Parts: sequence; structure tokens; C-alpha cells
Amino acid sequence: MESIIEGFKKAFSLIFGLDAELLGIIFLSLRVSGTALLIVSIIGLPLSALISLKKFPARGLFISIMNTLMGLPPVVVGLFVYMMLSRSGPIGFMGLLYTPSAMIIAQTILAFPIAVSLCHSAIISVNPIIKQASMTLGATSLQTSVTIIKEARYGIMSGMIAAFGRVMAEVGAILIVGGNIAGYTRVMTTTIALETDKGNFELAIALGIILLTISLAINLLLHFVQRKGALPVNR
Amino acid sequence: MLFKLILLFMIIFIQLPPLNSSAGTKIRCASTTSTQNSGLFDHILPIFEKKTGIKVDVVAVGTGAAIEIGRRGDADVVFVHAKEQELQAVEEGYFVNRHDVMYNDFVIIGPSNDPAKIRGMKSASEVFKKIAENSAFFVSRGDNSGTHTKELSLWKKANIYPQWGSRMGDEAHLTHLQKWYLEVGQGMEKTQRIANEKRAYTLTDRGTWLATKDKDKLEMVIVLEGDPVLFNQYGVMAVNPQRHKHVKYKEAMEFINWIISKEGQHAIASFRDKHRNQLFIPNAK
Amino acid sequence: MSLRLNISGVRKSYNGKPVLNACSFSFDRNGVYVLTGSNGSGKSTLLRICALIESPDNGEVIYFSGNNIISKDILLRRRITLVLPGIGLFNTTVFNNAAYGLKIRGGKNKETERKVNNALKFVGLIHKKNHNALTLSSGEIQRLGIARAMAIEPEMLFLDEPTASIDNENTEIVENIILNMKKEGRSKTIIATHDMLQAGRLGDCMLLMDEGKIIKV
Repeated sequence: MESIIEGFKKAFSLIFGLDAELLGIIFLSLRVSGTALLIVSIIGLPLSALISLKKFPARGLFISIMNTLMGLPPVVVGLFVYMMLSRSGPIGFMGLLYTPSAMIIAQTILAFPIAVSLCHSAIISVNPIIKQASMTLGATSLQTSVTIIKEARYGIMSGMIAAFGRVMAEVGAILIVGGNIAGYTRVMTTTIALETDKGNFELAIALGIILLTISLAINLLLHFVQRKGALPVNR
Repeated sequence: MLFKLILLFMIIFIQLPPLNSSAGTKIRCASTTSTQNSGLFDHILPIFEKKTGIKVDVVAVGTGAAIEIGRRGDADVVFVHAKEQELQAVEEGYFVNRHDVMYNDFVIIGPSNDPAKIRGMKSASEVFKKIAENSAFFVSRGDNSGTHTKELSLWKKANIYPQWGSRMGDEAHLTHLQKWYLEVGQGMEKTQRIANEKRAYTLTDRGTWLATKDKDKLEMVIVLEGDPVLFNQYGVMAVNPQRHKHVKYKEAMEFINWIISKEGQHAIASFRDKHRNQLFIPNAK
Repeated sequence: MSLRLNISGVRKSYNGKPVLNACSFSFDRNGVYVLTGSNGSGKSTLLRICALIESPDNGEVIYFSGNNIISKDILLRRRITLVLPGIGLFNTTVFNNAAYGLKIRGGKNKETERKVNNALKFVGLIHKKNHNALTLSSGEIQRLGIARAMAIEPEMLFLDEPTASIDNENTEIVENIILNMKKEGRSKTIIATHDMLQAGRLGDCMLLMDEGKIIKV
């Protein structure tokens, strides 16, 4: 009990004292996850649009695979990326193991199926009348697709935020591929794991509180986006 | 609107300086959690960096994993405490220039009331025998670390094999899992805490013990120390550049030569934990 | 040259159930055609096929300009439009909805704004141009659907049950819009409705559909 109270005290003093090391850790977390999300948006969004709007033979299989991969255990992803990036692995020559880039790769793999699955369901749940309306007004098929994706924008954003939330809170994969190197690949979750190991519960709890606060902010944003999608308000 | 806002955030992320850039030279050292958690690196690495401009990134894992990382070429230098394994890996050609650096010793700790009546005994393997006879709880690291390796050698010496069936191949006389033997697969400090919670005995290194017993409020005491078999030698070695062309051998050697130099050895000797205890005794030749 | 539409022998079935059954007709004259008939007589399907957003299983849909056949490409599709019974508004402002057709045609901003404002004035929605379209009442939704179609100045306009789901007051407003359009002689208009009285009020030419055919002129 005592250590929990101490943890809260420490958390507040760290947060309000703007501890430079702590800020570095938080910032790296946001950057790694943010970059992973950016890559996922660049590749995953067009892909989910494609599988949602075009019919091709293996579509159902592809969607099933994506849904299954949503539940990928992070440590398995970590192990896989580790084996790939290790100097003795197939792309070891790039020297990416134990760098932030390795962490971004692992998080991209984790976030990808979540983002694609959720974006896909957002796009297919757009009312089919939107497609017809767009066609009656003279849209080309590309313009129609763009219109449908625009209509799904709140669902797509929800999917992206959910994926971001998952990778921000993830520890297994990035610990394996990042190595938790102080000041270089140490992020919030790996710091929490390490400080717990070291018995520095106060610092671990402090970081936990910060992580929870960020998760809360992400979820509030998600809630706001979903409400905005469901109930348009007058401006 | 929201869309544009999120896009803006993302653009800010890319505009930032690249993540992997670094001003000076960097080498990567694979080491053990016990070394890192003791705070030794925080003490000696800044001294080394100040002198040479070389930054040392430490990846802290178990001894077995640290050697494996070096073997795979994913580190430049390895700093662990499992002399036999180290020498074997050098023999196999994965590493070069192995040197003794320092030592600390292992101790057996147990609940303050010492239920198995260990105190006063002199031999570690006799202690293990007695623990087994009394079926007193014993927590094992179970993670292939240097400490774990040491523990297994002590069981072997006592001719008792309480381990899981997974090591059937190594241990011919294996009995099935004993209820009093808990393999936790965790770091040293966590293992101590588990032992504390379970009122169990465990093998630990003095460094971790001294650094953490008060902080973790362990209701435990040292029940055996001083048996020469509990000597814990740390060594450092460079990844063989002939095997892995990309390693920063020159910088790695700079680090090794420094840590076994008078200056490096002095840095190790001057390291104190927060209770002013000296944890490591330098002994490079 | 004004656009003419000729359909001949059009058949269409859904899940094996025939909806259009060798339906033929020529929409040659300018003015308002009203298509009546009971529910399920095939009015909506005929309109969707004429508006080129569905293709028939059999038979031909041919557009003429004078005596020339026009190929059914995007350029032709942009000269005609259909207002769907549910409209299908986009989740954006009233203005952006009405401007959609012009924007995808790559219209100039100023010109688009002028035309859209005119269309919104015409249907009495200019005061709501910055509201989100999904907050409109059902009557306003119908009017916006018509404005959205008018903005692109179609040569042939199909309206599918424009007053089916709205109250009397709004029905009157929508009918007045259609009559005003007719007065201005902007386009050839084809309206599907099951309301015979409305058909009488609006139409120059009355068509009755039954069992997937136009049976009476």
C-alpha cells in the first residue's frame, strides 16, 4: 500500500518536474508508435480500401487472415522481427536490431492487421446508397471509391486510434527487438518492466500512471470520433 | 478537420531528426541484468565515454542470451559471468580477447527464521542437499543465466535433480518436478522477491542482494557465504571480427583495454551502491 | 440537340424473380413524364436502368442526340441524373452535398458556388448551406436531393418517388419545385410516383406500369 502511495507522489513530482529523461522516454514512445501508425496508414489504408471496394478471388481469405492476425501475440512478432533483423538473419546486413527502427518495424506489423481489419469494416459498413448516389451524380469509379472512403472517415480514424492504442501499450515485441537500451530504445512500457524488475515500484507506478493517462486521452479521442461519426452536430 | 489535425501530427513526426543518428561512435555491449541493475554501468560507462568519446549501449539480458546475441553478431562486446561458457564460445571462434574483469560472490539466502536450519553449514552442495531433504521451498532463476548455471552445477554436485522435465537430455537422473522447487524464469531481483513471498531459499549474487534487500524489504538473511565454489567471475570479450565483419572491433577493444586497465579497474572498485557497499572486486590480470 | 432515350425489350430479374419484362418505350418529347403503377411494378428498377447505374439482363437502352447514338460512357452519365428515393446524402455540409456533382466534374470554384447557391435558393435551403446535411428533416432531405441534381444542370432528370416519405407541406414544396423547373424548361424529367393525383398535377405525359412493362400511355 505504502509503495502505491509513494508511486503516486513520485508520479506527480516527475510529471510536474518535467524530468528530462522521462520526457525523452515518453517522446520516444510517441514517436515510435506514431511512425509505425504513419507507415500503417500509408500502406494499410489503400489496401483496406482495395479489399473493401474491389472484388477479387482471395478476398474472403485475405480478410480472414487479417482478422486472425489481429490477435497476434506481440512476443511472437518480436521473435520474428528479431530473427529477421539479427546479423545472422536474412536482412541483418542493415544493422537494424536494437534500434528504434526495429521497434517501428515490430509495431507496424502489430498495428497493420488491426488497422486494415477495422478500416475494412468501416468501409463496408457505409450505406450502399452512397455509392449509388455518387454514381448518379456522375462520379467515375475512382471518385465513387474516394467518396465511400470519405464517408467511412470516422470509422477509419477509430481503427487507426485503436491500433495506436494497442502499440503504445505493447511491451513484449519492442523489448525483444529494441533491447531496452537506456536513452536510445527505452520506451515507457519497457521502462515500466525494467523498473518493476529492479524493484523501483515508485518509478514504475509513476510511468504506469502516465501511460494510463495517455491511453485515456487516446480513448477519449476515440470516443469523440465515434460520436462525431454517429451524431453529426450543427455548426 | 480532425483528419487534417491527425495528418498534421504525423507530419510533425516525420519532420523530426532521424531516430538512429548519433554524433559519436557507439558500440553495443550485451550484458546481464544483474550487472545493469546493480548500477555499475551507470557509474563506469560515463567515465569511459568522457575519455574516449565512445558511447556504450547496454542490452541487458540473461548470460545465456547475452552470449547468444554476441554469437549472432548483434553486439560488439559481451560482458557476462559464466566463465566456462565464455571460454567455450571463444574456443568455438565466436569471440576473441576474453579477459577476467572483476568478481563478486554468490550467497544462499533464506527466510529470516531459517526453517531448514541451514545456518552454520559450510558447503553449498550440502546446503542444497538439506533443502531437498526438508522439501523447503527453493526458487530457481530458471533462465539460463550465470546464476542459474551456477545453481545447476551445485545441484549436480549434490547429486539431486529437482528440475523440470525439459532438461531431461542434460540430466540423466532426472526425477519429475518437485513441488518445493520453483523455476520462475525471471531476473535476480524478481527471483529474490518471489523467494521472499514464498518463504523460500534461493541462490543470489551478493551485489544484487546488497543493493536490493532493504529497498525490497526482504525478510531474508544470508544463510551461507564464503564457500569457494560460490565465486562469481565476470569476464569481457570481443565479438570475433573475422566471423562478423560489421562489428566495431577497434572500439570494442578500446573498451576492453580500458576496463582491464588501472583506470577501468579503479572505476569498478570505486563503485558503491546507495548503501555505500562495494559490490564488485576488480581482478583483471 | 436534345437528348432522347429509347428502351426496347428490357428485362431484369433479381434472384430469379422478374421485375422488368420486355419493357419498351421512347422518351422523345421534352417535358415531364410521370410513371405510375403499384408497388413492385418495376418503376424504380426501370429508372435505375435508364439512369445507367444498373444494366439490364436483356434488351437495349439507347441514348440519342438527334439521330446519333451516344455511347454510354462517363460523359453521357454526366448529362443525366437520378434522384434516389432515399437520396443518399453525404456526411458533410448542405453546400458540399449540392456541390458534389460540380466538384467531381472539376468545375471552377466561383462558378460552382454560383450554381450551387442558385440551386439551394431554388429549393429554399440557402439558409442552411453550412449545416451538416444529416441534420436535415426528411422534407429538406428531398429538397436537397433535387438541388444536388439541379446543380449539375442535367439534360435528363429522373426522380424516384420524390414525395413518398414526406409530409403534405413538404410534398407541396417539392411539387412546386418540379413545376417551376418545368416552367423554366430546363430538362426532360421522368418521375416515378404511386400517387395518381400527383401524377395529374405534374405530368405532361402519363405512363402506367404493370408487371414490368409500360402498358398505357
